[in-house]
Amino acid sequence: MFLAWNEIKKNKLRFVLITGVLMLVAYLVFFLSGLATGLKDLNRESVDKWKASAIILTEESDKSLYQSSMFLDQVEEVNADETAVIGQLNAIAGNGSQKKNVSLFGIRKEEFLMPEVTEGKPFAGENEVIADDSLKEEGFSLGDELSLSSSEEKLTIVGFTDKARFNAAPVLYADLETFHMVKYGEGADANNDRINGIVIRNGEGDVIQDDALQVIEIEDFIQNLPGYTEQNMTLTFMIYFLFAISAVIVAIFLYVLTVQKISMFGVMKAQGISSFYLSKSVIAQTFLLAAIGVIIGMALTLTTGAFLPAAVPVSFDLPTMLIYGAVLIAVAIAGALFSVLTIVRIDPLKAIGG
Amino acid sequence: MTTVLELKQVTKTFGSGHKKVEALKNTEFKADRGELIAIIGPSGSGKSTFLTLVGGLLTPTSGDVILNGQNITKMSEKERSQIRLNEIGFILQASNLIPFLTVAKQMKLLNKVKKGNMSVGEMEQLYEDLGIGDLRGKYPSDLSGGERQRVAIAKALYSNPSIVLADEPTASLDSDRAYEVMELLKRETKSKKTTSIVVTHDTRLTDYCDKVYYMTDGVLKLQEEN
Repeated sequence: MFLAWNEIKKNKLRFVLITGVLMLVAYLVFFLSGLATGLKDLNRESVDKWKASAIILTEESDKSLYQSSMFLDQVEEVNADETAVIGQLNAIAGNGSQKKNVSLFGIRKEEFLMPEVTEGKPFAGENEVIADDSLKEEGFSLGDELSLSSSEEKLTIVGFTDKARFNAAPVLYADLETFHMVKYGEGADANNDRINGIVIRNGEGDVIQDDALQVIEIEDFIQNLPGYTEQNMTLTFMIYFLFAISAVIVAIFLYVLTVQKISMFGVMKAQGISSFYLSKSVIAQTFLLAAIGVIIGMALTLTTGAFLPAAVPVSFDLPTMLIYGAVLIAVAIAGALFSVLTIVRIDPLKAIGG
Repeated sequence: MTTVLELKQVTKTFGSGHKKVEALKNTEFKADRGELIAIIGPSGSGKSTFLTLVGGLLTPTSGDVILNGQNITKMSEKERSQIRLNEIGFILQASNLIPFLTVAKQMKLLNKVKKGNMSVGEMEQLYEDLGIGDLRGKYPSDLSGGERQRVAIAKALYSNPSIVLADEPTASLDSDRAYEVMELLKRETKSKKTTSIVVTHDTRLTDYCDKVYYMTDGVLKLQEEN
């Protein structure tokens, strides 16, 4: 640490440069991870809110809630601790001045899908809905009457709940009757036993007998939301690539610095200072630079996050950021190992000329 | 007089076949405590090879190098590294100073890596003896050539090594500075009762030495004894 720190102090510029590069990489990693988390939330937060273990959909729907269709009384054949029925459709909702893509959930008030109301009151009667509070930022408010793109029905927002977006659309919660009215219009009475799926908590043994139905683990269900996996993989890939890039940058930078110091290291080795001590110093130096870069990068990310408009889906998950930070420091040190190898190979004989 | 360093029938050859070079031929050598010895010779005569063997940087092809009663030819590189650290002080041609450490910190580094550290009082004495007390806060790039070599000598003498090996210590200095450095080396060798071996092609320096050896084509010969 002694050598490492004194060298940094004497040669500020070159170390500020490398720390700067590491900081930018860290900034990008953190920001991308924030974006990845934000986009994940955008897709899944309403599903996470269910705190369910699995969902039952028809086999032919291929894990798509919207495409699945079954009957209400099939819930009685389900073998689980708790069950909740769900109907779902997508629509464009407008309040006269704003239009927004929404996802309508038809649920039963007494079952566990019923969200906690953070503002206003729960839906009580026909055509009343609880809306996700992201709609507030879009210009919707309590008491707004919503017209829907696919239906003649008008829905009234009576309450708001938090963290309720499904596949990037804010959710409107309504009772099953309202859902049927919206979905089938005049045919609502004839189809009032139709639902899209059954959400369960703690299924036991054979949850269902019916071959036409399929039990899907919640995580599996989320992975199959349209675009979810693709989005995630893209961002994750970029982050992993950045790890590799930072390792290479550090490796090159330190290698150049080490090569410059070969004769100095040779002299030190001739004097009996061990390769181990010199290597330790390089590792300590890398650790210092990487840690400073990562910390500044993190601070910068959080600052930027605080000033971004709500439309940018970033959400910072501190444990993930800490893990990524640690990985960045680790790969930087891995890059430094290259220089360590060079130091070990330096022949102290070089120190004696002639 | 106690013998600090002894070479017994030491030879060193490099390469093989028709490229074989005998850098050092069957050499006997002895150095006692408190002696300042010069080894003079043209470049390529084998004097650097001699220094690397004595300094434990190379092992001889045959023969033994005995430093302070220990046969260093039989040691592993790691053990020799320890010997270099604790028993030998090096003064090298250009400068063995670390560019990003101040004079005081050069000493502090030795304090960190060496056994048998000096007390603060001894340290102050060393600064005073070498007249580098005022240079403590300076970086090597701010020092003159003579000052740099004085600091290098201080580093070599740190924690009283058995032997000080100097490779062309005056190479980059003008005559006055060179004499000054040699004077200093002589004084410290006598007062600290250490042994110093100076390898050089600079014949101006022989007046300061107790013994002067001459080396040609790998053969070491005692030339004069003052």
